[in-house]
Amino acid sequence: MGGGAPQWPRWHELSLLVWIATFAITGFVAVLATETSSFNLTAVVVPVVFLALMLALHVFLVSIRFRGDQILMPIAAGLTAIGLVLVQRLASDLLFQQLSWSIIAAGAFAATIVVPRDLTALARFKWTWALLGVLLLIAPLFPVIGREINGARIWIKLGPGSIEPWEAVKILLVVFFAAYLEEYREVLSHSQRRIGPFPVPPVPYLVPIVAMWGIAMLVMVFEKDMGATVLFFGIFLAMLFLATGEAFYAVIGLALLVLGGIVAYQLFGHVQARVDTWLRPFDEDLRFGTGYQLVQGLYALANGGLFGAGLGNGMPERIPVVWSDFVFDAFAEEAGLAGALALLALYLVFLYRGMLIALRAPTMFLQLLAAGLSFIVALQTLVIVGGNLRLIPLTGITLPFVAYGGSSLVTNWMLVGLLMRVSQVSTRMRGGGGPS
Amino acid sequence: MTSPISANIRSLTLTLALAFLVTSIGAAYWTVLASDQLANDPFNPRLIAATNGRARGAIVDRNGAAIATSERTDTGFARSYKDRTLAQVVGYASSKFGLSGVEAAYAESLIGQDPADPVSIWRARYLGDRSPAGQVVLGIDLKIQKAAADALGGRKGAIVALDPRTGAILASVSVPGYDANQIVDPSKQDAAFDQLTHDAGHPLLNRVSQGLYPPGSVFKVVTGAAALESGFDPTKKLRVDDPYQADKSWGDYYVRSSSRAHGLFDMSDGFRLSENIYFAQVGLQIGAAKLTDYARRFGIGSTPALDLAAAKGQLSDSGSIDRPTLLADTSYGQGELLVSPLQMALVYAAIANGGVMPTAHYATEVRDPEGHVVRQIAPGPVGQVISPATAKTLTTMLVGAVAGPGAFAFGAKIPGIDVAGKTGTAENRPGEPPHGWFVGFAPAQNPTVVVAVIVENTPEGGVTAAPLGAAVMRAALGK
Repeated sequence: MGGGAPQWPRWHELSLLVWIATFAITGFVAVLATETSSFNLTAVVVPVVFLALMLALHVFLVSIRFRGDQILMPIAAGLTAIGLVLVQRLASDLLFQQLSWSIIAAGAFAATIVVPRDLTALARFKWTWALLGVLLLIAPLFPVIGREINGARIWIKLGPGSIEPWEAVKILLVVFFAAYLEEYREVLSHSQRRIGPFPVPPVPYLVPIVAMWGIAMLVMVFEKDMGATVLFFGIFLAMLFLATGEAFYAVIGLALLVLGGIVAYQLFGHVQARVDTWLRPFDEDLRFGTGYQLVQGLYALANGGLFGAGLGNGMPERIPVVWSDFVFDAFAEEAGLAGALALLALYLVFLYRGMLIALRAPTMFLQLLAAGLSFIVALQTLVIVGGNLRLIPLTGITLPFVAYGGSSLVTNWMLVGLLMRVSQVSTRMRGGGGPS
Repeated sequence: MTSPISANIRSLTLTLALAFLVTSIGAAYWTVLASDQLANDPFNPRLIAATNGRARGAIVDRNGAAIATSERTDTGFARSYKDRTLAQVVGYASSKFGLSGVEAAYAESLIGQDPADPVSIWRARYLGDRSPAGQVVLGIDLKIQKAAADALGGRKGAIVALDPRTGAILASVSVPGYDANQIVDPSKQDAAFDQLTHDAGHPLLNRVSQGLYPPGSVFKVVTGAAALESGFDPTKKLRVDDPYQADKSWGDYYVRSSSRAHGLFDMSDGFRLSENIYFAQVGLQIGAAKLTDYARRFGIGSTPALDLAAAKGQLSDSGSIDRPTLLADTSYGQGELLVSPLQMALVYAAIANGGVMPTAHYATEVRDPEGHVVRQIAPGPVGQVISPATAKTLTTMLVGAVAGPGAFAFGAKIPGIDVAGKTGTAENRPGEPPHGWFVGFAPAQNPTVVVAVIVENTPEGGVTAAPLGAAVMRAALGK
């Protein structure tokens, strides 16, 4: 920050939030203007409530003299605002629910900022997190509490609704891996034995790797969710690479994943359907069947062009379940390539800030934690956007912050909270301040 | 601060950034590069939904008579199809089953977004213009269309009439047909579509351009053209003795004459009496390479340029003529040949048009809501496929094939007008009656209409088809 810095402690955050507010209000007005139905009070209340909420978070951070990162929160707020505008556009009956979820998410964010007194202490309970994670991961498989929605068994019943435990699992996994790998990275990365060019760690250290792969495959087979499988295994491989620097682990891990995928393709109908749909969605037998959703998504993209049809002027509602699976295509139809690239840029900046925090973190545990958390957001974005763009098979992963869905929104905001906490630790240790 | 894992964090970030780059390129591909093609995909619901709050453009014949219109209902607009005999040509615009026919081929024009009319596109998209979208004018003349439909009656088959000078299609009938109104009626569409797609008669198929048949004797003009342009003397008499085989290597394989003929034939006699053995010998004399060359020039075995779907057909199963018996059989239109009625009409159009083959097209104009022409559809000719002299010689012989003594195609005669034409009786699967063909044009001196007729499975073959051709030509010539 330069010498003429304003006195307000989190000035950068505030000024970025002004841009978010501008976008949110413009977006809601644009969608409202194109709707032929009568004036809807919710549509005015929602942006006002949301912006008040974000301002409250900002004031909260200032009031507790929080000195961490000032960029991540406005990005998360911006993405959540885009999400709300799109819910209003695509499924306005779900708007109130999504607003409620963002209030809960803001609460969870604030709690994350305050509650864990010492982040490093998280590492001490690593086996607790691992056990909790595995339990949550397999919870949907149990009768009574487990639920199957749209063919994937990844939900559990909770009160009147259902939540995706997977969303919490990803954070628990990163915390566990960060702690575990900090402890054992020496053994894993400086293996004495080699077979040819390949490092071979001692057998006891190979066990968790194989176990993780096994769990990932079980998830794919029994919960029928390729997205969770890819994320789960992807987090594991990324963490392993971060800790050891051995690209070999990543390569062999990817090979195992592809191998597992090929076997699953032969054995399981749901995997086969996904892959076939990806390879030839326009074929006559698929375009009205399993390929319908993807094909409608591609039509939406095609209608986008360079600058889009304009908010409210496209017809992304033709895509089934657009508000949770295909928000990217919907946004690209109405905001065009320009909007789509801007959206991707937001995630890229998020990734950059997160990784910068990781680089500056004082301990290896915190480094791994920050890098792992940033990786989750980037991987989720790449996997779902890649699926929407037919670059890879479509999976049921949510677009972070934007896609409709409560569990996802809450955990992603907690993730932002954790990242900001890590940045605060580094700031405090260096005794500095400011955004950079 | 240097940490042992900083480098790893940087590598991972770089990898992810590259993945973001690839993703961005993917986004650019679908939104911009592949955009045109997908935007015009007949199953893209935007092509129909654009007219939910706006009348879809009308489809009219060359005189402005309505063929398809949109009419206001309580819930929006409903499409109404006026002429059942044009079902496969006009197609349907169904929110459930997508688009077909002209409705698909000119989908953008019919929702007021013809690429040649950017003003309308912007008005509709950004100013919310809801006036009825522009019109598509077809080359079809409903008067000739009715004559063709009446001539064919309920018989399975197809009739196509086109203007040899422009390639504009004047009439196009394919039987069995269907009622497109049922496909756009929400209460009937499911049952109707299910029935149509399972009907063994393939009513959704446009037999004119997509139906493939052995051509039989109507193909002999191709052999004749190849011979004339190879320096073969058409006045030279060839000995015809039924049954014929070139040499003993044919074993028990013979070419048969339909009239069990014995005698001397020149090319005029060959056309007039439709003598298979004459053309088999001509083919054997000029050779497979010449015949293949001219078949290709006339578009046999390649998809004709057309604004609707068209089938390719074939010269033979392998694509080449690789044995003498196949050469002999192909020379009189059998063998393994498959052609669409449109392809045959184009062959005769080239002869009628001084050797220049036109490009066939159903639509002739796109108009904006005010009636101004925004786009003329006048594709240039395919090219000069035979010399004007050859075309003239063939025309003279084809006039003889209709009006000469004992001519097979006598049924195509029109009083006071010289008709050039040829019948065909195409053998198909053993045990099935042959298909009857007639392809011809009139007036022979200055042709303005070419007609191709096929009647499926009719024992009389070409004799059945010739009068149908005459009826259509009379309607076209106003006689």
